[in-house]
Amino acid sequence: MRRRLGWGFWLALGWITLVLAAAAAADLLPLPRYDETLAGPPQSGPGPGHPFGTDGLGRDVLSRVVYGARVSLGVGVGAVLLGVLIGAPLGVLAGYRRRAVDAVIMGVNDIALAFPALVFALAVVAFAGASLLNVLIVLGVLGVPAWVRLVRGATMVFSEREFVSAARLLGARDRTVLWREIVPNVSLPVASYAFIGMAVAIVAEGSLAFLGLSVQAPTPTWGGMINEGRPLMETAPHVVLLPSFVMFLTVLAFNLLGDRLRALTDVRQSGLEPVRRRRAERLPARPHHVEEDVLLQAADLRTHFTTARGTVRAVDGVSFTLERGRTLAVVGESGSGKSMLIRSVLGLAPESGTLRGGHVYLDGQDLTELDDQQMRRLLGTRLAAVFQDPMTALNPVRTIGAQVAEPLMVHLGMKRRAARARAAELLASVGIPEPARTLRRYPHQLSGGMRQRVTIAMALSCGPDVLFADEPTTALDVTVQDQVLRLIRRQREERHMAVVLVSHDLSVVAEWADEVIVMYAGKVVERGPAATLFERTRMPYTEALLAAVPKLTDPAHHPLRLLPGRPPDLANPPSGCAFHPRCPYARERCSAEEPPLFQAEAPDHLYACWYPVGTGAGAVETSGVSGMSGAAEVLRATEAAGAEETTDTIEGADSRGR
Amino acid sequence: MIALRLVRLLLVLLVVTFLSFLLLNLLPGDPTTQILGLSASEEAREQLRRELGLDDPLFTRYLAWLGELVTGDLGTSYTTSVPVTEALAERLPVTLELLVAAQLVALGLALPIGVAAARRAGRPLDQALTALSFGLLSTPVFVLGVLLILVFAVKWQVLPATGWTPISLDLGWNLTSVLLPAITLGCAQTAVYARLLRTDLIATLQEDYITLARARGLSPRRILWRHALRPSAISLVTAVGLNLGALIGGAVIIETLFGLPGVGRLIVDSIFARDYLTVQGGVVLISVGYVLVNFAVDLVYVAVDPRIRRA
Repeated sequence: MRRRLGWGFWLALGWITLVLAAAAAADLLPLPRYDETLAGPPQSGPGPGHPFGTDGLGRDVLSRVVYGARVSLGVGVGAVLLGVLIGAPLGVLAGYRRRAVDAVIMGVNDIALAFPALVFALAVVAFAGASLLNVLIVLGVLGVPAWVRLVRGATMVFSEREFVSAARLLGARDRTVLWREIVPNVSLPVASYAFIGMAVAIVAEGSLAFLGLSVQAPTPTWGGMINEGRPLMETAPHVVLLPSFVMFLTVLAFNLLGDRLRALTDVRQSGLEPVRRRRAERLPARPHHVEEDVLLQAADLRTHFTTARGTVRAVDGVSFTLERGRTLAVVGESGSGKSMLIRSVLGLAPESGTLRGGHVYLDGQDLTELDDQQMRRLLGTRLAAVFQDPMTALNPVRTIGAQVAEPLMVHLGMKRRAARARAAELLASVGIPEPARTLRRYPHQLSGGMRQRVTIAMALSCGPDVLFADEPTTALDVTVQDQVLRLIRRQREERHMAVVLVSHDLSVVAEWADEVIVMYAGKVVERGPAATLFERTRMPYTEALLAAVPKLTDPAHHPLRLLPGRPPDLANPPSGCAFHPRCPYARERCSAEEPPLFQAEAPDHLYACWYPVGTGAGAVETSGVSGMSGAAEVLRATEAAGAEETTDTIEGADSRGR
Repeated sequence: MIALRLVRLLLVLLVVTFLSFLLLNLLPGDPTTQILGLSASEEAREQLRRELGLDDPLFTRYLAWLGELVTGDLGTSYTTSVPVTEALAERLPVTLELLVAAQLVALGLALPIGVAAARRAGRPLDQALTALSFGLLSTPVFVLGVLLILVFAVKWQVLPATGWTPISLDLGWNLTSVLLPAITLGCAQTAVYARLLRTDLIATLQEDYITLARARGLSPRRILWRHALRPSAISLVTAVGLNLGALIGGAVIIETLFGLPGVGRLIVDSIFARDYLTVQGGVVLISVGYVLVNFAVDLVYVAVDPRIRRA
């Protein structure tokens, strides 16, 4: 508790205690009386006899500040108490009873909030007379609407929680529920706001006093002292500055107490809480061979996040290559690291608390070595992206035209008029009717399918070499899905570009992809040409995905058909093969040792499994053939030697299994 | 939707005017003595009683008063013999200029501060700006005003501490005389606006369309100002409207502090001159204006966020 409140809280509490104690014990302190004129020479600065100096009449400023604190703190505390006493019961009632009671209370409350509070306070005090009691009552009553709103909100939150519903169901009387369950929970937000409310009341009282409309002379008030000291500002600034400083500190202290208490209840938006941030750090990459003639190559790509729960390995050593005119599909369940892989390739992964590793080569150029500006020149022109949800992919407050024309103007240096004309052509090329009209529209005026066409047009605007499509059809209706995928393929053929298609839908992948990588828990678990991978599946996870392929009879937006078990917790992945808790073929070894990527019999087909499906390896193992362990030993030897994991040392085991 | 808001607006206006009307009833003792003073003749009191309709039931008096209010008649001051409406009309431009200037100062400072803080969220600059905002929020407006006068008018003598030059006389001097009051009044709002903008910008920067803008190779500066700022400005627009209440309260103090002949100063001066009809008129003007501005703010949303145009 102490640590989380921070030293600012305790300093503020100390200051308020000091002021409170001084105000309470003012008569006992060795100070001249606040109204004793010529206690010292007039307008003398701070000195040993008068620590805060004296004012124009020679009165001791410190004494006046201390006595003035009685008014300020008295009004601050009093007004808040009054506000709570009236506002809190109304708020609890509105939040707990709901319906008619709530509607009436909140209706009146909304009207009350529509008042310029200080002007009304001023007028009421002016008409009713300036006295401590009047000021206190007016400021207290004016605070009621805010209290009602706050307490109602807090009450509603808690009256929906299980323990309150349970108490109600058990037949507890409303009064009991309110006192036992709701009041204790609402008290922290109330305490937090009480301190802020005191700061507000102190400032309001000060303002009235500054205008001469609070407690009347000779009783000193902070606002009054500041007002009276103004003519002396040139000759004796301390008469104004010291009360100002004390008042500032007091208001600051109350605000700080409120803010820290609020931070206790709400971790997200704690006012002064520093958010720890670190630049992305680099992980070392394993040695790899840079392919000469491929368009895009990822080598041992890693993106890890440091979280409170541990390191999350969102992308963990992914490698692939992609040539022009081909489509690479990345498949896996939600949370398997597909989307983060795309963002990592594009350099768009979050920076805070991130560890990065591996390399990305575009035509042999290492993108991870580029600085931000060099990377920006490639993004949009050579690398382009389309995301899953077209509803969130477009800026809601800018016209389609402004958004599609922008990359043309930024990257190609086109003038506004030319860019808009080109934008219209682009929209037409992705099959949007009335492109000129669409340019003037806002995203919310378009359907989901049309929006996804717009994002594709934007991605294609500068003629990229690689298009990254992150589940481009998941959020769309089945009929629209096919149109969008056709559009992407046509553009790929016309522009001779490469496509990286992220999907969890294997029927889409089987139809549109040339090569496939299957991801699980941030790792590649199977990889190969689409036809081979689907016909001769080796990894049980891929097999399970295939079994779960949605049929046409499924409703739209249907997620994966049930795969047994839950996707792994990336902060705490299972030992050995991450898939083993869900795998129907898992053996002891699977939970003990992580399988490397083995070479299957078909070229370019790799899989990470000790007991691949379709090979009978599992059956061989059950019958206790010892050859398998021999093969494993070969493998261990190669691993120990630091060789690449993708070796063909297991060919023996593979062929024997068949 | 609009009809519902209009009904609510009318309701609020009725309550606000009724409460302003009630103010006179707060006067202790005989209102005629309070308004005319002890030395007034019995005839004058009788006449005032008739004018104020003090013998009629409260609600009848309110309706009569409201009828006159609607036609722009707020009565004639007994101390200055000037019609209240006229006195207010003369002072209103000064207050309006002060309010507009203060909002401009506040927004002009809050935009760069909020954007800079959001862009470097959690880093030292952000923390420093957050602490500064917190400090500004805790500074009463008259304390800040006194400090600024001390620095700019007394020590450096670059700006006048008091006084007012109307626009019609000299624009340059007019701006000089409004600058320090506007900065004083605007500073506290700056803190509010900058914090709001920072929070909303940080949320907006997590959106998909921002990531996609980055994927299109746009510069961070461009993304912040052209893509993220407007979707993040909705709370800010609300706050600009709602804060008018705080701002008007502050204007009363600022006008007194800097000697500006605005509505706020008129109210304060009238309070001390026991010119209650003028005080009442000023309160009516400010509260009705405040309610109307808040109503207008609701309509401005639509301009900022085209999504709402559907509703």
